[in-house]
Amino acid sequence: MCASVKYNIRGPALIPRMKTKHRIYYITLFSIVLLGLIATGMFQFWPHSIESSNDWNVEKRSVRDVPVVRLPADSPIPERGDLSCRMHTCFDVYRCGFNPKNKIKVYIYALKKYVDDFGVPVSNTISREYNELLTAISDSDYYTDDISRACLFVPSIDVLNQNTLRIKETAQALAQLSRWDRGTNHLLFNMLPGGPPDYNTALDVPRDRALLAGGGFSTWTYRQGYDVSIPVYSPLSAEVDLPEKGPGPRRYFLLSSQVGLHPEYREDVEALQVKHGESVLVLDKCTNLSEGVLSVRKRCHKHQVFDYPQVLQEATFCVVLRGAQLGQAVLSDVLQAGCVPVVIADSYILPFSEVLDWKRASVVVPEEKMSDVYSILQSIPQRQIEEMQRQARWFWEAYFQSIKAIALATLQIINDRIYPYAAISYEEWNDPPAVKWGSVSNPLFLPLIPPQSQGFTAIVLTYDRVESLFRVITEVSKVPSLSKLLVVWNNQNKNPPEDSLWPKIRVPLKVVRTAENKLSNRFFPYDEIETEAVLAIDDDIIMLTSDELQFGYEVWREFPDRLVGYPGRLHLWDHEMNKWKYESEWTNEVSMVLTGAAFYHKYFNYLYTYKMPGDIKNWVDAHMNCEDIAMNFLVANVTGKAVIKVTPRKKFKCPECTAIDGLSLDQTHMVERSECINKFASVFGTMPLKVVEHRADPVLYKDDFPEKLKSFPNIGSL
Amino acid sequence: MQSWRRKSVWLALSASWLLLVLLGGFSLLRLALPPRPRPRAPQGWPRWLDADLLQSFSQPGELPEDAAQPPRAPHGGSCNWGSCFDTSKCRGDGLKVFVYPAAGPISETHRKILASIEDSRFHTFSPAGACLLLLLSLDAQTGECSSMPLQWNRGRNHLVLRLHPASCPRTFQLGQAMVAEASPTVDSFRAGFDVALPFLPEAHPLRGGAPGQLRQHSPQRGVALLALEEERGGWRTAGSNSSACPWDGRCEQDPGPGQTQRWEMLPNATFCLISGHRPQAASRFLQALQAGCIPVLLSPRWELPFSEVIDWTKAAIIADERLLLQVLAALQEMSPAQVLALRQQTQFLWDAYFSSVEKVIHTTLEVIQDRIFGTSAHPSLLWNSPPGALLALSTFSTSPQDFPFYHLQQGSRPEGRFSALIWVGASGQPPLKLIQAVAGSQHCAQVCSLPSWSPGIQGMRKISECSCCLLLDRFFPYSTIRTDAILSLDARSSLSTSEVDFAFVVWQSFPERMVGFLTSSHFWDEAHGGWGYTAERTNEFSMVLTMAAFYHRYYHTLFTHSLPKALRTLADEAPTCVDVLMNFLVAAVTKLPPIKVPYGKQRQEAAPLVPGGPDTGPKLQAPDPNCINQIAAAFGHMPLRSSRLRLDPVLFKDPVSVQRKKYRSLEKP
Repeated sequence: MCASVKYNIRGPALIPRMKTKHRIYYITLFSIVLLGLIATGMFQFWPHSIESSNDWNVEKRSVRDVPVVRLPADSPIPERGDLSCRMHTCFDVYRCGFNPKNKIKVYIYALKKYVDDFGVPVSNTISREYNELLTAISDSDYYTDDISRACLFVPSIDVLNQNTLRIKETAQALAQLSRWDRGTNHLLFNMLPGGPPDYNTALDVPRDRALLAGGGFSTWTYRQGYDVSIPVYSPLSAEVDLPEKGPGPRRYFLLSSQVGLHPEYREDVEALQVKHGESVLVLDKCTNLSEGVLSVRKRCHKHQVFDYPQVLQEATFCVVLRGAQLGQAVLSDVLQAGCVPVVIADSYILPFSEVLDWKRASVVVPEEKMSDVYSILQSIPQRQIEEMQRQARWFWEAYFQSIKAIALATLQIINDRIYPYAAISYEEWNDPPAVKWGSVSNPLFLPLIPPQSQGFTAIVLTYDRVESLFRVITEVSKVPSLSKLLVVWNNQNKNPPEDSLWPKIRVPLKVVRTAENKLSNRFFPYDEIETEAVLAIDDDIIMLTSDELQFGYEVWREFPDRLVGYPGRLHLWDHEMNKWKYESEWTNEVSMVLTGAAFYHKYFNYLYTYKMPGDIKNWVDAHMNCEDIAMNFLVANVTGKAVIKVTPRKKFKCPECTAIDGLSLDQTHMVERSECINKFASVFGTMPLKVVEHRADPVLYKDDFPEKLKSFPNIGSL
Repeated sequence: MQSWRRKSVWLALSASWLLLVLLGGFSLLRLALPPRPRPRAPQGWPRWLDADLLQSFSQPGELPEDAAQPPRAPHGGSCNWGSCFDTSKCRGDGLKVFVYPAAGPISETHRKILASIEDSRFHTFSPAGACLLLLLSLDAQTGECSSMPLQWNRGRNHLVLRLHPASCPRTFQLGQAMVAEASPTVDSFRAGFDVALPFLPEAHPLRGGAPGQLRQHSPQRGVALLALEEERGGWRTAGSNSSACPWDGRCEQDPGPGQTQRWEMLPNATFCLISGHRPQAASRFLQALQAGCIPVLLSPRWELPFSEVIDWTKAAIIADERLLLQVLAALQEMSPAQVLALRQQTQFLWDAYFSSVEKVIHTTLEVIQDRIFGTSAHPSLLWNSPPGALLALSTFSTSPQDFPFYHLQQGSRPEGRFSALIWVGASGQPPLKLIQAVAGSQHCAQVCSLPSWSPGIQGMRKISECSCCLLLDRFFPYSTIRTDAILSLDARSSLSTSEVDFAFVVWQSFPERMVGFLTSSHFWDEAHGGWGYTAERTNEFSMVLTMAAFYHRYYHTLFTHSLPKALRTLADEAPTCVDVLMNFLVAAVTKLPPIKVPYGKQRQEAAPLVPGGPDTGPKLQAPDPNCINQIAAAFGHMPLRSSRLRLDPVLFKDPVSVQRKKYRSLEKP
């Protein structure tokens, strides 16, 4: 009420005593200006339809407008495919030689329409799928438009389906491509090879040395290591959205959904149904569908009508039988439904078999064993079936789902052959994402106990406590297995003492000066480290006995992939604060060791310096704290293993530390350390530390046994 | 006042107009002028206006419906697994192999190979019951080339084993027989049917074999980057120091040619360059593996050994010889992580499949068994990570999580409960105190006994029956044992619940090892020139006694199914040997020592170790050196490793209030 009154008073006051005529005039003017401004603004910031689209240069054209090429009847025809071709005989690898990124470059020929002497087209210009395929390649990192730099050439002549083209003329069209050169480094994609009556398992178009990415290869036509076996794309993949169905038992044990089976095979599968009853379902084409219902999307059993491909999700195993062609699009549908394919097609080369491990996702049964299929499948444990179901779906998602996935997987396979040292591993191809996240591959996986003779390198990080440093050096040099001592001089303002002042010890002693006073310097992979074992030790750790250190080294030899340290610490979940907490009290558990004195493999120095995730290294250097926690995180994360605490040692007492008022310092210290744990856990995205309840002691530690007979009698105190 | 207002209104208006003209003008200008030629963006595949109208490559229903032909016969002479091998004969108990006896006198090598096949679990003496008939075709020197055997049957279900290439001229048509030969050429090799063997030198050990040369995980500093094979069997290293390069992130220049060194047999370098033309180079390949030198194969024309199951990309670099310079550059830049992994894999593969003739032959049979098994074959992980497919039996399980070795890779954990298996022996008196202590553990799932309990004890919680009662059957894979962990006990063992609890928690961290309370250690007895072992308390140990030890259920399967018959009979006759045998077996698999946990003090000197107790069964008190020597001979090497540590609870015997300690009774005097 109040506000509106105010407004009413203010309103007229703004343009006072103006005549109504004028007022209208002004208001109109204002609105025009305002509108203009808004429009301009919109124009400025709106995504411009003309500019922002990438193909500013690409004129919009229709497929029908592509140039026409007339092929004379007597133009050359390439040789038939050479069955003995291998990468090292038929592929010109020099064309791929100069790429520094280990990625091949692929050139796509421009689209043309080929006609014969009479003007009759050789084939459909291009199919929807082949257009998608070429688009996918063009959008990928492999693509180049510079023909002279290309290593692989993809003709735009569509040979996906042999039945839509004229063989001789298509071959002639291939032969006249500008860089054809007997087909060297040319890649053809074909999904439906062969034609009646005998249906060859590879494309019949003569293609000389060209590589063939084909669906439906048999062992007789597939050139191992040269051709690529690809799936037959199922258009249903794009049309139907089948949500992922969890693994587990399903309504039917075995399902046959293919139409157009050879009568012999149909008899066989129907015999299975008769024998095993309800758990086997054999479907066929529907004969009496009403008008307008797509017959592709329906299957029938007697008079029962089922939706296809949805019905595939009702079965645990789905039969994929050979038809006229070995490769069947139904394989893709079956995988999409998370149904385990039972492939019955002798000599069929499964899609991408060069890299995919089909044993994990399918069951291959020889044709003559068809009557035993049921018992073969029943012998598979339920757990394995569930893994196969998961794997099947994952294969579909990664390599079958779209034409793009098929195209890129094909190029990746060829790329891996050319740059084998940068190839994708078995695990990357085959492990579903869930497994990839959960698994740890320990970089030091070989069970190996390094020889004692190698010894260890002690690295002492120091700033300026020379006296204490010299004591540490003298103490450590008494350890029998020490083979070298490295002092990291972290003080830039002061020179290390002269050579003559250093203690004389029996092993080489080297001083490394650093450029900056950073905590991370202690974990740098110095050239001077020659042993695998590294002992990181602070310049004030003088309380460790020689026996204790030697024993620590012995323990490290038995666990060379772990951090082996003395005082142990623990991380705990604080339920009140909902975050991690650092614990140094007397606990029955350990998850970290302090690196004030710890043995570890020198490879972790490399990891710490070059592979530490996120900004952890900078955080450590900025806070001048927690480098040990960071190391604990790093090692636990990469190996998946816990630390080993040795001997009862509980803290590193140093003479200086006791002088300072302990309590309050302790408090802030604990808070800071807890903060580190929380920070690191968030950077790693997980809590990699492993909690254990054991520590390592010498075999006879505190046993009732003569001390002088023990190997490590002086194991020290707390 | 008024004019001021009007002025300000006009000012605002004109300012707005100006803005409008400026902004709009720019836009108009940009529209009107053609854009300056920008750096050319790659011209991609055009986006067709009528892309959506294009036809699909296959029209539904277009597929011919009645065109499928009956299965075709294989093309002239070429075979594949489906068409030339009859698996129906292998239905019963998997792969059974019959070996044709040699006609006439045979060489020592031949005899040993025969023996090693006869020792394997695949062997059968009846050709009728066999599903694979093996024809050894070994030494050409003695002229004993086999003639056509009796059951030849066009070679169906036959495997012709040629350890040394072209040792025998083909005296008869191979027909449908599979060929296992050393480094077959890529062109003649029938993938999935033939088996590619490694090229073994004449003097390859038959059993055991030399361990890999790798003593440390990472390449030594200063070791040469590359070794090249020499004409006469040696290796030449070139350009030393450069291997140091990837380790610190900066590279020194190659010191140049001239810095070459000659080595005798095994190369000492990070990478070994091996030419792919001559099959003889394949023997270099094996040398490189043994030396832990990563083989760089240049366009090999021969099939890599066991390529059907071994993922060679994890252990070798197979590159195109024509891109040699790029390959060399790539080697120099290879990340330490990659070098580490490749190096370790060479060693693992050498030890698992190649170090002896016996391993090569068993691997060959295992490959064929995997083909027969189909879905229950070894998953790739089992072939390609330690301990390897010969030691991880697919008959136990095909899920890697069930084994003790793959928890890390699988992101899984061993089960949180154990089964106690108490061997009561002939006396038959159930040790009630022990049962109470064990069953009292929160992790205990069941307690079984061998032989089964007297009925009176049935009422106790967690007690179930396990059948069978022979001593040897102690390590039988009973189906009644359902947990991953087994606590093996003896009627005279004496343990407290605390001890059991702690030992089990430790075992969960080391599921592939044996975790025991009582130990013994082996030693080389100079005086007798053989191995000996003792149960005396020493500063180190290499075996734990199975009368009180945790281990994975899998070792029962391995013990029963993988050990040669001779060894199991040995253990049968001298039961003291069982402990040693089990420890050998586990050590051969893990290549690591067992783990010792603390054992209550007062009992340490008491019952178990005192000889001549009231019902002394066969025990370790009188170690029998024969036993350990025979076992070591059968293994071909000494797998036992010594450990100098014991795993104690974190606060074990620390001067702190006992209230803080979780495993208090471990320390009671």
